Amino acid sequence: MNPHPDLTPDVIRGIGWLYLLLFAMNIFWTVRSYKRQESVGRLAAWAMYTVMLGVVGVAHVTVQSGSEQFLIRMPVWFKTLIDAGAKPQYYFALSIALFAAVVWLREQLVKPTVSWLILNGMVLFMTLSMTDYDFRQIVGKPDNVPIVSMLFIVAFFTWLYFKRAVDNDQRIAAGKPLFEQEDNEKVLVWPDLVYTEMICMVILTAILVAWGIVLQAPLEEPASASRTPNPSKAPWYFLGLQEMLVYYDPWMAGVVLPSMILVGLMALPYIDFNKKGNGYYTFNERKFSVLTFMFGFLPLWIGLIILGTFLRGPNWNFFGIYELWDVHKLVVLNNVNLSEYFWTWMGQPLPVAEAGSSKFLQIVMILKREWLGLVLVAGYLGALPMVMAGTIFRKFFMRMGFIRYMVFANLVLFMACLPIKMVLRWAFNLKYIVAIPEWFFNI
Amino acid sequence: MSDESKGGAPKKLSTKDILAAARAQAAGGAAARSTPEPEPAETAAPAPATEKPAAKPAAGKNPTSTADILAAARAQSAGGAAPAPAAESAATPAAKPKPAAKPAGGAPKSTADILAAARAAAAGKRAAPAPAAADAGEKPAKKERPAAAPAAAETSDGPKLSVQEMLAAVRPGGAATAAPGATAELASAHAPAPAKPAKPVAPPMPAKPQPVAAKPPVPAPAPDAGRRNVVLAMIAAPFALIGGLFSSAFASAWTMLAATTGIATLATARFMLPNVLTEPPLKFKIGPPADYDLGTVATKLVAQYGVWIVHTDQYKGKNVIYALASVCTHLGCTPSWLEGERKFKCPCHGSGFYITGINFEGPAPRPLERVGITLGPDGMLEVDKSLKFQEEMGQWSDGASFYEVVG
Repeated sequence: MNPHPDLTPDVIRGIGWLYLLLFAMNIFWTVRSYKRQESVGRLAAWAMYTVMLGVVGVAHVTVQSGSEQFLIRMPVWFKTLIDAGAKPQYYFALSIALFAAVVWLREQLVKPTVSWLILNGMVLFMTLSMTDYDFRQIVGKPDNVPIVSMLFIVAFFTWLYFKRAVDNDQRIAAGKPLFEQEDNEKVLVWPDLVYTEMICMVILTAILVAWGIVLQAPLEEPASASRTPNPSKAPWYFLGLQEMLVYYDPWMAGVVLPSMILVGLMALPYIDFNKKGNGYYTFNERKFSVLTFMFGFLPLWIGLIILGTFLRGPNWNFFGIYELWDVHKLVVLNNVNLSEYFWTWMGQPLPVAEAGSSKFLQIVMILKREWLGLVLVAGYLGALPMVMAGTIFRKFFMRMGFIRYMVFANLVLFMACLPIKMVLRWAFNLKYIVAIPEWFFNI
Repeated sequence: MSDESKGGAPKKLSTKDILAAARAQAAGGAAARSTPEPEPAETAAPAPATEKPAAKPAAGKNPTSTADILAAARAQSAGGAAPAPAAESAATPAAKPKPAAKPAGGAPKSTADILAAARAAAAGKRAAPAPAAADAGEKPAKKERPAAAPAAAETSDGPKLSVQEMLAAVRPGGAATAAPGATAELASAHAPAPAKPAKPVAPPMPAKPQPVAAKPPVPAPAPDAGRRNVVLAMIAAPFALIGGLFSSAFASAWTMLAATTGIATLATARFMLPNVLTEPPLKFKIGPPADYDLGTVATKLVAQYGVWIVHTDQYKGKNVIYALASVCTHLGCTPSWLEGERKFKCPCHGSGFYITGINFEGPAPRPLERVGITLGPDGMLEVDKSLKFQEEMGQWSDGASFYEVVG
């Protein structure tokens, strides 16, 4: 069996263009290195790397036949390793770890050479992975082009933020004026801003037109109420929501949590009491705000979009990026409600009202069945803010006052409830903490 | 530009007033146009481009004298030979509402007189740009076209007189009470109005707006004529009603709107009762029980009817045939029956259900729903989708939710 179906000369040439892109990028970098009069060793290293990329790129682009011998493939052991670790819990843990590492190592990351190496690494990884059929099928889908570009754009803006923030933090520490004060970027709306906007408009329009011509709209068969495509994916910007729906009832993940996100974002200016960081980039002066927002945005939103796009396959199973989307992939899973765990542990059957019993008795039995989950949820939303006010958020509570603090604490807890539920699902196969399907009330 | 909104308090000409005046001057030769004026009483005096309105004596304590002097000076400089105070002798242009009439009132009287005279003189020589008391402050400075010259009374830096007041002053029997408060109100309403294109002549004084209300229906003849009049009235009434409904533009518009809305509402109501239903019927026959082997899930009806027919003995040990609605209880996608895995699996969020319909994996909170199934007298199973049986409500024990296979 051909392990590389579809690896036609066309594909190889496409990969060659990626190498040539890297080549062009690194020509610039080598020239920059030369102009800055860096050490000879460094300069030579960059030059050699660039020449190598150029040679590989040209070799890929000029192939006519027998292309296999030129091909630099992603090693199989690497692919196997990646696919073996293809589990949502690993992915989520890894994204959290990456987030923590970025924050922790921010001063190193924003150094030009380091960030350039990371960019090179990202593009090289993409290029090498393109030699894999299954990866190409996912990444090359017209649907997914925006998400691939989003990866780079989000990385760039995160990097930009940290670069500016680290710079300012160092200035503040040294007692120097801020970057925004020293190098004032204020310009006139007309003509500076309007011209810039117009140029951006023209360029973006050109890109969109080219995009619309080159990549066809990914239309599928006519919609049918009785047939759902497999996998059935939301628009890419809603894939985070769709992933939330895996862990929560639609009532919760489709209504309550999105509303909390929107309301919470709107409430931010009223919750924030830190007057610093207004009009300039900083991290050290706004650690809590920045970390909270970034945690919600990067691992919990962008991370889940990437997960939903590249890693969820048929039957919403989790697939590695190099793994074949097998409709019959079998994942052993049996989700259990908290009440079932509890009553089994108690050695009793689930409390059920006798058939034909009164409405009141039914309600009592349902509440008795789910009492543990209800108490836990009430404690989580009702008592935990008080505990936090006395402990970790003591200063916040003093500064904010009761109402503002309660709003703040509940928003934080609602944000935390997604990862908490994910971990519970992975660790204990827990389906619902409160499961009252009779009332369509599940948490 | 609207410093009028500050009311009639005396104040100096501001810099922008002067600038606006200078601009008006610079825009030479351009056609004058009517004053931007929403009120119908406005008579626009086109601004002469050559006029020098800028350096005005400002802040006169006595508005009357200032206005007098200004108007006189303007009339002189622009009209050439037009004598300033010759209000009575000025030719009355057709467009003007009797400027020579005696106005009443103390202070505004003379101003109005003089202005009216000036206008009349100007209007007499309509071919040339007529002189007008151009208040620079009134002019919209940023306009590309030469600003129209607003009313002269506004030149005065005392309590400003709006055009309406001036007109009211010169109108016969007009109660020209130029209360400063009212002036301010009118002026502020006046100021931001957009400029209109130039008109060759000053617009005529529009008639007093007619009351918008519909005219009363034609009154029926007095009933003293008895029966004949009653008949006439009955004949006349519909016409009167129609006449009333369309008596004015507003009445017509509301009538048409009401009619259109009513028809649209009726059409919507009709839409809810279609002639032909393309949906499959809720009750349908699915063949004899023997068509469905034990331990199988028939997926053939999903595309058309949205049900699986399941024959199994795994639910409470009974050998039964039942119909499951092919709607995931999580978010309503259509799961697929995976024969190899012996489960229903939803492609949207990964919910899984056993062949019994019981949920066991993924986020689905409750089992798939059963729909009604019965054995008809002709030996055919009949599915009734109008019935719904939920396991968590204990409804699967209902005899209509399954067909028990005997033997």
